[in-house]
Amino acid sequence: MDEISEEDQLDRQLREAAPYIDDNGFTACVLQQLPAPRRTRRSFRGAILLATTLIASALAYIASDGGRFLIVAMERLVALPTVWLFAFALGSGLLVMTAGAIAAIAKASELHR
Amino acid sequence: MELTDADLVARVLLDADQHAFGELVRRHQSTVRGLLRQLTRTDLALADDLAQETFLRAYKNIRGFRGEARFSTWLYRIAYNCFREDARRRKEFVGVDEEQLQAEHDPQIVDSALRHDLMHALSLLPLHERSAVLLCCQNGLSHDEASRVLGIPLGTVKTNVLRGREKLKRTLVEWGPN
Repeated sequence: MDEISEEDQLDRQLREAAPYIDDNGFTACVLQQLPAPRRTRRSFRGAILLATTLIASALAYIASDGGRFLIVAMERLVALPTVWLFAFALGSGLLVMTAGAIAAIAKASELHR
Repeated sequence: MELTDADLVARVLLDADQHAFGELVRRHQSTVRGLLRQLTRTDLALADDLAQETFLRAYKNIRGFRGEARFSTWLYRIAYNCFREDARRRKEFVGVDEEQLQAEHDPQIVDSALRHDLMHALSLLPLHERSAVLLCCQNGLSHDEASRVLGIPLGTVKTNVLRGREKLKRTLVEWGPN
């Protein structure tokens, strides 16, 4: 017991004996030596993503005869019985929720690794 | 509300925010410089050069910080590596053996003005014990964290802390009033 309190006392003395070192321009000196930040990378990535989306949308519009497939799909959907429509909505919801849950679990385990 | 170290690291990662990194430097400069001053046996200029190198490396490799340990522990690891590499370059990275330690403990060699100076007693410990005592006792790292910083097994850290403490106590008793 005495040995433990002696150790605690020694640790406390050591912590107290360590002086706080004033910055005195140290931080400024470090910051001056930092390499310039590369900001272009993220905006470049965003531009590529946007351009790809626009091109893909234009291609889909042209290939589907001016978006006719959407009208056809909507007509079919409207013609479905109510129970089927409800089942379709429920199934889609469950599918999206499962995918979201899997992605969240994967991300969480990646962060804890 | 004050941002945590993790928040500041996130800002550096996402926006390359150098002001956030500056805040991290301000927060940790004293402990990192203090640690290096003790490791270099109070060579202030060398310690500050190594501290600058430590923070520059931390900035360049900040993606390597995964938040598994405290940011300060990660910094200590970099600081210790900087010190070790520099010491290797200078070919001074040699352990002090027991004989040398005893010689250093000779009260006639020790300046009487420093008799009660704990930091001086600490600087007399051999490097492996000094670094373990510095990290665990002075900077409050767990044995496990110190083991990761120093890159040595957990058992060795515990032994080094135990021996370092014993030697410190012995030295202080020897220097104390008779």
